Amino acid sequence: MSGAADRVLSVLLLGLAAFIAVQANQLDVPFSYDPVGPKAFPMLLSGILGLLSVILFFRPGPGGSWPRGPLLLRLIGVLVLLGLYAWFFTLAGYLITTAITAAVLAWLFNSGPVKAVISGILLSIGSYLLFTYALGITLPWGAWLTSAA
Amino acid sequence: MWDFLFQGFAVAVSPLNIALVMGGALLGTLFGALPGIGPINGIAILMPLAYTLGLPPESALILLAGIYCGSEYGGRMSSILLNVPGDAGAVMTTLDGYPLAQKGLAGPALGMSAIASFVGSTLAIIGLTLFAPLLAMVAVKFGPAEFFALMIFAFASMSAMMGKDPLKTLIGAVLGIIIATVGVDSGTGVLRFTFDMPELYDGIDFVVLIIGMFAISEILLMLEHSFDKSSDKQMAPIGRVMVSMKEVLSCKWSMLRSGVIGFVIGVLPGTGASVASAVAYTTEKRVVDKEDTFGTGDMRGLAAPEAANNAAAAGSFVPMLTLGIPGSGTTAILLGALMLYNIQPGPMMFSEQPVIVGGLIASLYLGNLVLLALNLPLAGVFARVLTVPKWVLVPCIAMLAFVGVFQLHSDLHAIYLMLGIGIFGYLLRKFGFSLAPIVLGFVLGGLMEQNLRRALAISGGETGILWESALSIGLWIAAIIVMVAPWLLGRLKSKSAAAQ
Repeated sequence: MSGAADRVLSVLLLGLAAFIAVQANQLDVPFSYDPVGPKAFPMLLSGILGLLSVILFFRPGPGGSWPRGPLLLRLIGVLVLLGLYAWFFTLAGYLITTAITAAVLAWLFNSGPVKAVISGILLSIGSYLLFTYALGITLPWGAWLTSAA
Repeated sequence: MWDFLFQGFAVAVSPLNIALVMGGALLGTLFGALPGIGPINGIAILMPLAYTLGLPPESALILLAGIYCGSEYGGRMSSILLNVPGDAGAVMTTLDGYPLAQKGLAGPALGMSAIASFVGSTLAIIGLTLFAPLLAMVAVKFGPAEFFALMIFAFASMSAMMGKDPLKTLIGAVLGIIIATVGVDSGTGVLRFTFDMPELYDGIDFVVLIIGMFAISEILLMLEHSFDKSSDKQMAPIGRVMVSMKEVLSCKWSMLRSGVIGFVIGVLPGTGASVASAVAYTTEKRVVDKEDTFGTGDMRGLAAPEAANNAAAAGSFVPMLTLGIPGSGTTAILLGALMLYNIQPGPMMFSEQPVIVGGLIASLYLGNLVLLALNLPLAGVFARVLTVPKWVLVPCIAMLAFVGVFQLHSDLHAIYLMLGIGIFGYLLRKFGFSLAPIVLGFVLGGLMEQNLRRALAISGGETGILWESALSIGLWIAAIIVMVAPWLLGRLKSKSAAAQ
């Protein structure tokens, strides 16, 4: 099965090349002094990418190992966590979201629960003070506070 | 012709800029030494913070240059103490560095590597000062066709030299160029690949791309490594960081030779520290290793790659400052940083922006002095950074990534885009891509298209203009040679091996 991953990749890249070609082909400029226009360069890239992915299909490298089982779950967990961090970043404010995200991240990286909570709170408050007073960066307090006030 | 240097020193010795170069050197050393971060990630994570300070361009660049030099110094600690290279350029350092540490000579090894780094980079900065203005004078004659050919050459030499897999290096570069085409087409004002999302009209933001690619994907990779219990390494005890004059003198020729080799290789666009240190190490092994002690903890085997990779790091500024073509992934990030200030590096920069070029070069001299002064007494303290556990490190990286992107854009879309790019970067790394070609492609993509279109506008669409002048023909031939030579050499080697 060696090279299976690279074969999948080459098919995906070929698809990307085709997509770029189709999209670029729809670009139309009514009139321009530029003899090349916006279309040619993406078309050229799409052609090169297509060619390279065909070569990759026939000469794939050895595949690495892919995450599965509990590791995959944790990876997805980290991504969901970061997504939620972004989602609540301005809603709930920097201090709360950073403390919670940092604590859960630390826990996902095997810190144990107590250390996770303490480090999350310390990181959030410490970095807030550093950014606000030393670097002059404004960080969101959160929509809930602003609407209450 | 070297007026810029005097102006540069005048800028660099202002109290603010001296503080910045020292602070950058310190921060860079710490970040370079952090486990799993390494120089290129360190710069990527710290870059947005350089902007928040609201510095003028030359000061921001000086800070970044300090971080850059510092991270190159810090990057070798894990090579010597843990046998884990921080980046590709530090692989050769492990060969003699780790055996030295195992023999209980970790302290002297760290000291020697600091001195070799200093010698190598100082040599290269002198080279940069001498040759860059001359090259800039030649480069002024470059037209769009020559620039296009030069970029083809840069990608060709990169694919031949960088990484294990030339095919994937090329694919990565093409992907980077494709990402660069997103947004308004500067020639015609047409929107390309924006899918009706206003956030994409200005193209993919450089900081968002860099932070996503490096910081976010690094978090995901670290999670995998933390699952792998076998990766826990025991750190060698350091002891006192002392290196005797006798040891330093025994390495002097190795350092000088490797510094020159490193500079020359660093100047070639697309090839950087990893090639330089490998060539320097094998050269020294051939020249001085009479007792066959290389690989068992020979100081010269440590000094050679250290001098070379620092020389290459400084040498890669030559093509970046004179031609606008970065010599390595890290200088590609610095180039992108300059472009954020609307400064397009190129041959005119020496005459038009002497303060920026000169300030940068002057602060490279100062930065290396600072680093030598910091690293000899404090290497033991910096090495503690290696023991920072992942559960402390990762939340900090995530926080820096979010704050860095948020304060530049105050926009959640940018953060979502960063996360998406992070997943993309993680998948690419799992598929065995290195990220440097993608960054290089992204930074050069816009320029490449502009120059191609300018050339064709001059000729009225005739493609012959691309290989008309002697200079561009030379560059095309050089590109073909670089692509074909390693393959031919491999063929010849396997044939002669079969004949024996």
